[in-house]
Amino acid sequence: MNLLQMYFLFAKIGLFTFGGGYAMIPLFQVELVNNWHFMTNAEFANFVALAQVTPGPVGLNAATYIGYQCGLRTLGGIGGGALGGVIGTLGVMTPSLIVVTLIAYFMQIFKDNPVVKALLSGIRPATLGLIAAAVIFFAETSVFTAPLRTLWTKGEHFGLCWQGCVIFAAVLVLSLKWKVSPVWLLLGSAVASYLLFLI
Amino acid sequence: MTDQEKKGRLWTLFHVFFKISAVSVGGGLTMLPLMSKEFSEDRKWITEEEMVDVVAIVQSVPGIIAVNMAILIGQRAAGLAGVFAAAVGVVLPPVIVIIAIAALLFQLSGNETMDHIFLGVRAAVSALILLSVIKMGRSVLKGTIPIVIALLGFLLLVLFDVDAVGMIIGAAIVGLGLGGIQYLRLKKASGGAGK
Repeated sequence: MNLLQMYFLFAKIGLFTFGGGYAMIPLFQVELVNNWHFMTNAEFANFVALAQVTPGPVGLNAATYIGYQCGLRTLGGIGGGALGGVIGTLGVMTPSLIVVTLIAYFMQIFKDNPVVKALLSGIRPATLGLIAAAVIFFAETSVFTAPLRTLWTKGEHFGLCWQGCVIFAAVLVLSLKWKVSPVWLLLGSAVASYLLFLI
Repeated sequence: MTDQEKKGRLWTLFHVFFKISAVSVGGGLTMLPLMSKEFSEDRKWITEEEMVDVVAIVQSVPGIIAVNMAILIGQRAAGLAGVFAAAVGVVLPPVIVIIAIAALLFQLSGNETMDHIFLGVRAAVSALILLSVIKMGRSVLKGTIPIVIALLGFLLLVLFDVDAVGMIIGAAIVGLGLGGIQYLRLKKASGGAGK
């Protein structure tokens, strides 16, 4: 992948991301893990997890991390990574700068437009499906030991990882019942996971 | 607005967005209360109603939420130059911080301890995203058609590796088609009533 290809790939993902950073995850995953073989599922998931705990908006953090990794793998070195981070971020925000700036000038027309409403009535639930797929994507490298589709292709051994299951359940309970903030949950899960693997 | 005022606004847009972006943790919408205070309550550059519009629009346009909020508010406050001042402000902190962290953290995997730690973090991320799916689902999944679209999209992605961009385009076309049918029906019904 050269820098121009990378820029356009990130721009394409920016154009089809609706409703925030989580919806971006499967788009990136398909391109970088499945199509370009730049990283494994687990490595990719690590970068997104890191984007969650570092300060700053998740979507921007993820784009910069992933761009950095692409730059590192194609150009090499910290300089290549940094250039990749900048180009990836610029790529992801280019469609916004064009489309959303136009919308800002024609806010009233956009707001009550029936065509826009009809398009969004399809895009919104599809995005929800996309984000739900991101749940499975993360679970496949933590709660499960292999991708779900290996259940019938019988390639890898599909099973559960008990440490992952415990943390998954604990986060759900702590968040729903005591409203613990995501940052603490993520940091706590890192410590908990380290300890659980010592058992 | 005089040139002097405009310059002042551009600088304010840049540094306020820079500050908010640097301190917020999590998704772009967590920046909202801070922005509302800075630009609506304190400076009165944007009315409360416009803030409500910004929130609605930001969730129905393509791109990263934080960037889109910067663009919409920047445009309201100072036109096209405001768009760029706010957008540059919002992206600079993550770009700088993340590149620095990525440069320091050479290897995340390969080391057994790191692998164990990150497995737990991935499980936690999975649970957190599930929670936001549930929250979003309550407002998005009203009626049979949205449920079918969401479920179909989910299954196609998880089980069959379909192209995610293709799926979004397909869903948009379905939405447009259904909207068109509804429009024709309404037209027919009102036309019939007129006769």
